[in-house]
Amino acid sequence: MGHYIARRLIQAVFLLFLLSMVMFALVNLAPGGPLAGHGQTRRVRPERVEMLKRQFGLDKPLPTQYLIWLVGNDWMNVDTNGDGVFEEHGTRKGVLRGDFGFSFRTRKPVLFEIWLRLPNTIYLMGVMLIVSLLIAIPVGILSAVKQYSGFDIAVTTFFFAGQAIPEFWLGLILILVFYVWLENPITGGPLLPAGGMYSIGSAYPIADRVAHLILPVTAGALGWIAWYSRFLRSNMLDVIHLDYMRTARAKGLPQRLVIFKHGLRNALIPLVTMLALDLPYVVTGAVIVETIFSWPGMGRLYYQSAMDRDYPMLMAILILSGALMIFSNLIADLIYGYLDPRIRYD
Amino acid sequence: MIKNRWPSLVWIVIVLVSLVVGAVGCAGTTTQTPEAAQPAGPTSPAAPATTQAEAPAAEQPTAEAPTQEAQPADKSSITIVIPEDPPSFNAIVGDTGYDALVMNLVLLGLTGVDPDGNIYPELAAELPSIENGAVVVDESAGTMDVTWKMRQDIKWADGKPVTADDVVFTWEAIMNPDTGIWVRGSDYVDSIEKVDDYTVTFHYSSIYPGYLTQLGGEQLVVWPAHYCDPEQGFVAWDCASNPLSDGPFIMKEWNVGDHLSFERNPTYFEAGKPGIDEIFVRIVPEETVRKQMMIQGEADVYMWATETVINDLVTAPNVKISTTPYGRWVMRLFPNEASKGSTDPQASQHPFLSDVRVRQAIRMAVDVDTIVNQIFLGYGKPIWTEFYRKPYICEVPRPVYQPDEAKKMLEEAGWKDTNGDGYRECSGCTTAKEGTPMKLSFYTYAEYGEPLQLTQQYIADNLKKIGIEAQLNTFEGSVMWADPDSGGIEQNGDFELDLWDDGYSSTDPTDFLWEIYAAEAATPGNGWNIVRWKNDEFNTLLGEAYTLDEAKRKEIFCQMAKILDEQAPVILMFSTVNADAYSNRLEGIQSNINDLVTWNAADWKIIP
Amino acid sequence: MTEYASEQLLKDPVPKPQGTISYQGMVWQRFFKHRGAVVGAIVLTIVFLSVILAGLSPYDPNEPNMKEALQPPSLSHPMGTDALGRDYMTRVLYGGRVSLAVGVMVVMITLTLGVTIGAAAGYFGGWLDNVLMRFTDAVLTMPAFLILILLSTIMREIELPFFTQNNVVAIALVIGLLSWMTFARLTRAAILTLREMDYVKASISLGASHLRVIIRHVLPNMVGLLVVEATLELSYAIIEESALSFLGFGIQPPTPSWGNLLSNASQHFTKHPWLAIYPGVMIFLTIISVNYIGDGLRDAFDPHKVLQKVGEV
Repeated sequence: MGHYIARRLIQAVFLLFLLSMVMFALVNLAPGGPLAGHGQTRRVRPERVEMLKRQFGLDKPLPTQYLIWLVGNDWMNVDTNGDGVFEEHGTRKGVLRGDFGFSFRTRKPVLFEIWLRLPNTIYLMGVMLIVSLLIAIPVGILSAVKQYSGFDIAVTTFFFAGQAIPEFWLGLILILVFYVWLENPITGGPLLPAGGMYSIGSAYPIADRVAHLILPVTAGALGWIAWYSRFLRSNMLDVIHLDYMRTARAKGLPQRLVIFKHGLRNALIPLVTMLALDLPYVVTGAVIVETIFSWPGMGRLYYQSAMDRDYPMLMAILILSGALMIFSNLIADLIYGYLDPRIRYD
Repeated sequence: MIKNRWPSLVWIVIVLVSLVVGAVGCAGTTTQTPEAAQPAGPTSPAAPATTQAEAPAAEQPTAEAPTQEAQPADKSSITIVIPEDPPSFNAIVGDTGYDALVMNLVLLGLTGVDPDGNIYPELAAELPSIENGAVVVDESAGTMDVTWKMRQDIKWADGKPVTADDVVFTWEAIMNPDTGIWVRGSDYVDSIEKVDDYTVTFHYSSIYPGYLTQLGGEQLVVWPAHYCDPEQGFVAWDCASNPLSDGPFIMKEWNVGDHLSFERNPTYFEAGKPGIDEIFVRIVPEETVRKQMMIQGEADVYMWATETVINDLVTAPNVKISTTPYGRWVMRLFPNEASKGSTDPQASQHPFLSDVRVRQAIRMAVDVDTIVNQIFLGYGKPIWTEFYRKPYICEVPRPVYQPDEAKKMLEEAGWKDTNGDGYRECSGCTTAKEGTPMKLSFYTYAEYGEPLQLTQQYIADNLKKIGIEAQLNTFEGSVMWADPDSGGIEQNGDFELDLWDDGYSSTDPTDFLWEIYAAEAATPGNGWNIVRWKNDEFNTLLGEAYTLDEAKRKEIFCQMAKILDEQAPVILMFSTVNADAYSNRLEGIQSNINDLVTWNAADWKIIP
Repeated sequence: MTEYASEQLLKDPVPKPQGTISYQGMVWQRFFKHRGAVVGAIVLTIVFLSVILAGLSPYDPNEPNMKEALQPPSLSHPMGTDALGRDYMTRVLYGGRVSLAVGVMVVMITLTLGVTIGAAAGYFGGWLDNVLMRFTDAVLTMPAFLILILLSTIMREIELPFFTQNNVVAIALVIGLLSWMTFARLTRAAILTLREMDYVKASISLGASHLRVIIRHVLPNMVGLLVVEATLELSYAIIEESALSFLGFGIQPPTPSWGNLLSNASQHFTKHPWLAIYPGVMIFLTIISVNYIGDGLRDAFDPHKVLQKVGEV
């Protein structure tokens, strides 16, 4: 097992390097740049463009930029004021030493910007995931156990509907219904808040946070619930019809024991694997839900950085997600191996 | 019997997840509060940020006591909604508008500009001019000196006075080649000199008419020398996200992505102001939601309301709209006189857009009134010359919408529909080969939203009716206006007809005119004459416009107006509305085309 | 005159035994038993037909008619009009052409790419398998939606020579390039199983070339698996396109697509809800029918879920 993990880790590191190069190329290849105007000016004065280019390090050829991104430039001489004289050492330490650079937009360290938003996304997506599982697991199992019953048919229809509704459409409709149309009987204001994580200076902080969570979680979780319950249902169905279950029943064990002790455990194994694979989304967030519901998270940060061509920010988020996906794959495989004794890695 | 590995694993996972979610959710979100946001720290030893709120109370107990209301139970507070975070409080670096919005609340410049275009003093005691001797021009050498006398009663929130040191510090930080930024006039300022604690002189190497907003206006303010760290540099210093205030409000908290909160500055120099205790600026990306918040009364000020928003809010009983008679951004058509992909019309001219008659015909074919009234819902004003704003208004006859005349003009220019497909080809034209079809690619940018897309489609239809075929496409702003090396469409001439809005800030159009129309500005990377128009007479006039003689400038501008009208290098159509929506419980709100709506936040009051 | 037996045979060459049915017939039969799939097929056919016949509409989808802007649904405009006075139903149906075209193109791209890579990996094994699977894993670790956003801005700039609407093809390419991996894995797994089957081994021992074996023996047995996965891919593609267009990265106006119609509608949502409802309903109907069809096909091809289990390897 140790061999296996070591091998996978080495592969992971190689993969990350490769990914970083591909992503660097992509990010820089995207047409347009961070030196375009928006907002107050459409055009940026050429003198300013020159200064900005130097400040952002964009005046160097791409491979050099990648190198600086990776290992920094404090070991070489840089020309900071554009006079052609390379006199000082740079200040960048490079990603390998934990320095992801500075955001072009805010000039603050990239990791700092991420740190400001990461907890918010984990909070929202974590709640979404937990809510989805709390609903999906019992629903999926029950509909498998009572296959073809009214409940099952209703649930199956719900699966299909839930996966067919586009997330952003659902979000807008929810806002329309719960914020615009319905009224809170007590305060006369809107029934549910349409955005943000909490109201400033609210009298009931926990209730307020829950209220702010309801709409975004509903919009985002629907798809997850539909998918997971369907997945569980089909796994459960497979397991139920297997021979050893029949044997257990034939032995006289009560139905419930059979289902929960033998069936459930084995149906859940693939679920755990899928969960581990969904982990990166908990961190990178859902761009659409966060934008519609004004949630200050990672998804929105990525979207804004993409529009502004904030290269360091984009690289950091892409690498972070890539790394997360690689490791979650590894974890999924390991958990699968741990839980299913039939599988052995060498 | 195989060991049951489930329970232990399940428990571990549940505990981990609950810990993470609980810790994150209940502990509150991280905020860019004063303590957190200063990794390098300001140069002053006592972290002024944390003492900012307490300092006034601590240092002026006698002054506070009589005016101290016993912590008023209801503080007056208002909420402004904007779609994205300001990158920082330094408006000239971020350039988004949202930074200027919040900057106005906490910082002051030497001067400001009011909605009528009048410049008024803020930190300055009076405006320097030739009449009061503060502006000294050396005609023979072509240089000038501008001396600013500052007010002596303005203090930073930590009690220290705002002095000439701060002005010099700010200017030197801007001019630092390593970490500064280019601003208007920086090419002309030779040096800056502190004359005494409250007097500063700028030494200009040439006559520069825009000296009044050298360190003022919409995007420039004076930064505190004792608080900002010059090592960090003007573009990146921490005091731009955690500012020391000398304006009407003090920043209390910045919860990035969510909101900023401000409270009244008790030591603000204008007595009795501001009239509001707290301001919250909330970040809400979805326009529909911002609109609804105004209607529901959850938001009080909506910055930069667009046409559809105004249309919806105008019927809401609790919302009022503040506008200006004309806007700053004028929607224009940019016809590239060089062929697509080229930037030199001499080497490769555009088959028909290089012909002034074709450009005039296009101008006659666009139904501006319908666009303004139907697509922009009446919130816009037809504009046909650059000189439509005070104090330089020139009388130019308005181009009439007459598509039949346009067709005639095209026929005369040698463009006829010879094959009956509805579109014209060259048949006796002077700028292209016989048979060249009158087809062009027509671009606009995406961020404006639906009205601009609809305008593009409508104009394409207008063109179709006079026989020009247009292929439409939309691009992101960061692609349209990028520098030449990044593939910028405008700079590289990768377009034929473009549609976007442009305009200049403040009252002096000279720099803007140079950027758009000067011959030198047609070189990629040198300016924004993306239509590649070169006119010697205009160029000469432009050079003469850099004078302080107002009467002469007016005359020069109106001569330029005539040339632009005849040549139509850029086809101006209409200005978009400059409006902000506000709750009817507020008074004092006035939109300003020369600044953001918070330009007079100190004057705002809640109606009792 | 008695007929010789041989002549009788000539008249009726292959006497069909009663009561049997071909494999294809079995599949169809099972499919029709699945009610949801049948309904889905009907709905999808209606959607496809109406989208194809959009050209029959008397209204031009692009020509503005400002006098009739933003009218609610009525007899002359069953879905109302948009902000430029264009008949919305026509716009929605033309948008359907684009969205469905993107979907179908994505399926074609991912099928071709995925099956080729998976088949090569599974059939030939060895170092080729290793390399191809590592490559598949690498692409799988890229965060799809984030990369889609970046890729779409790049691809839009590329001028494809003979596609006038290169916008649409570009988006399809972008989505396809990031979603072929499931097909590759499935194909590889299926081939790994199938190549051990006796008839395949027999075929090889008889001297059949690899290509022939793959095409004649292996692929036909995977059809069911591929078809089912293709339906999933189609619904994924339509949703991704609409999400991208909603954010402003996908199909650009004036070309309508369900996604960018929804994006424009979000501004008018509260006062003119029909602008947002109809495209959303079309997306919903299309996806739900495709999903039901997929489910029906899965039951039809593989009632005992033999190959489905294989797909989980």
